[in-house]
Amino acid sequence: MDAWLQHTLDGLLQAGPYALVGLGLTLGFGTLRRINLAYGASAMLAAYVGAWLHARYHVHPLAVLAVVLAVAVLAGAYVEWLCFPGARGIDRTRSAGTTLGTGTDAREVVALASSFAVWMQLEQLAVALLPHHLNAFPSWASEREWTVLGLGLRPDRLGQLLLALALVLALSRWLQHSRGGLMWRASASQVTAAHLVGVAVPRVQRIAFLATSALAGLAACVVLVVDGQVTPMFGMWMLVKGLVAAMLGGLGSVRGVLGGALVLGLAEAYAQALGGALARDATAWALLMVVLLWRARPGAERRTAHA
Amino acid sequence: MLEIKELATAYGKIEALKGVSLQAKAGEVTCLLGPNGAGKTTLMMTIAGILKPQRGSVTFEGEELVGLSPAEIVGRGLALVPENRLVFPALTVRENLMAGAFSRRDRGAVKADADRMLDRFPRLRERIGQFAGTLSGGEQQMLAVARALMSRPRLLLMDEPSVGLAPKVVAEIFGIVRQLHSEGVSIFLVEQNAHMALKVAQHFFLMEQGKVSFSGTPGQLAEDDVVQRAYLGERRAA
Repeated sequence: MDAWLQHTLDGLLQAGPYALVGLGLTLGFGTLRRINLAYGASAMLAAYVGAWLHARYHVHPLAVLAVVLAVAVLAGAYVEWLCFPGARGIDRTRSAGTTLGTGTDAREVVALASSFAVWMQLEQLAVALLPHHLNAFPSWASEREWTVLGLGLRPDRLGQLLLALALVLALSRWLQHSRGGLMWRASASQVTAAHLVGVAVPRVQRIAFLATSALAGLAACVVLVVDGQVTPMFGMWMLVKGLVAAMLGGLGSVRGVLGGALVLGLAEAYAQALGGALARDATAWALLMVVLLWRARPGAERRTAHA
Repeated sequence: MLEIKELATAYGKIEALKGVSLQAKAGEVTCLLGPNGAGKTTLMMTIAGILKPQRGSVTFEGEELVGLSPAEIVGRGLALVPENRLVFPALTVRENLMAGAFSRRDRGAVKADADRMLDRFPRLRERIGQFAGTLSGGEQQMLAVARALMSRPRLLLMDEPSVGLAPKVVAEIFGIVRQLHSEGVSIFLVEQNAHMALKVAQHFFLMEQGKVSFSGTPGQLAEDDVVQRAYLGERRAA
């Protein structure tokens, strides 16, 4: 019984990192209605630059974190410029259907495909910088474990979860109660109407994209200072875990991503207890598949829009 | 007040507006009639800055609007109530109203204006916390009008406000148009419902295949044979 309580606690704590990596993806999708496949790779490149500075020049850990954030934003700006130019508001030279931001058009497919290409490009760039599989990252991992009601609790993991909670609540409050948040939600809700009420939609979307890139950088820092290392799999890990958490939470919902992260964390913890690491990873992929099939069912889009 | 000269807008190689020229005077309700596909919505979207014209000019109170962004055009005093309302479905009624005032800097007066809108449209007050996507078509139309008025426009553009609505609601919407006009709001109205438009507008334009084919007063419009056949569904005895 105690073992299952411990698995449950581990799953709940794992929701922290998952919510952090899912937050940027869900905000990005909520604003542009497009998935940025280069999301994880941007954060990975930033983390590699930080690890390189740490290993080669022994840069102070706080400075490393600042660099990771800055590089993540720069990489995000590059991805936005290259892959999502059509998403910047309205293309005023195109036909009404596409101009007014309704329906699927070729630009969405191009954006998805080009962000995949940039994902590969950024990963290669990172690996060229640090070719080893394991690379040290400034570590603030806890060396001790608390015992609470007979259960082991690592303070660093608790810190990750509390930070995720605080970020979700702060972002949610800002979106609900500020003028900027209302502009952001209006642009996401009906892009043509947002233009018509005077929102500078291209600027809002660009800021939103850079903010999601900064969130990706922050998530990478928070995860890696506990892991103490970064590998070439980190970009893929961020994308998959973030995507599953975001989709389980109803892609686009800030509070939902926390729920999605909890479901993913608990499912993985139980799967690992039953079938080991392989079962844990298979669970994440299975959940992603189930959510994709659920969202693709007939009438799902209409129901989601009214949810 | 609003002057459009030789305006041409195309979707790729298809020219939807082929040199449109018309004017809307201050204090009047000007109505643009025309069949589906005539280019009426394209004209409204071009005036609002959503579509970029190939040539021609749109001047408002002497200032050229072509080349300005939609946000800049709203800031100049024009507001469009678009076809099919285009309310923000995922925002509440109150949030839709507040969004209508994004272009304003006098934020202190915005809340008072929102309350005035709720007095003008009591049904919106009943639905204040409801998501706009859950409102009926008529309520969404009222919300779209109220949202546009929140920017305190000097010219209100309305694109087929009666489309898809029940006759009773259409009468209500045209009542709102009359009331706004009586309060001094200038209105440029696109409509297919000529019977209702005749009751509110002081000047008419008819648009067919991307060109203006008629310009005149309600009396002249009622005398026009083409309009009689196509829009009023009757032919006066000779």
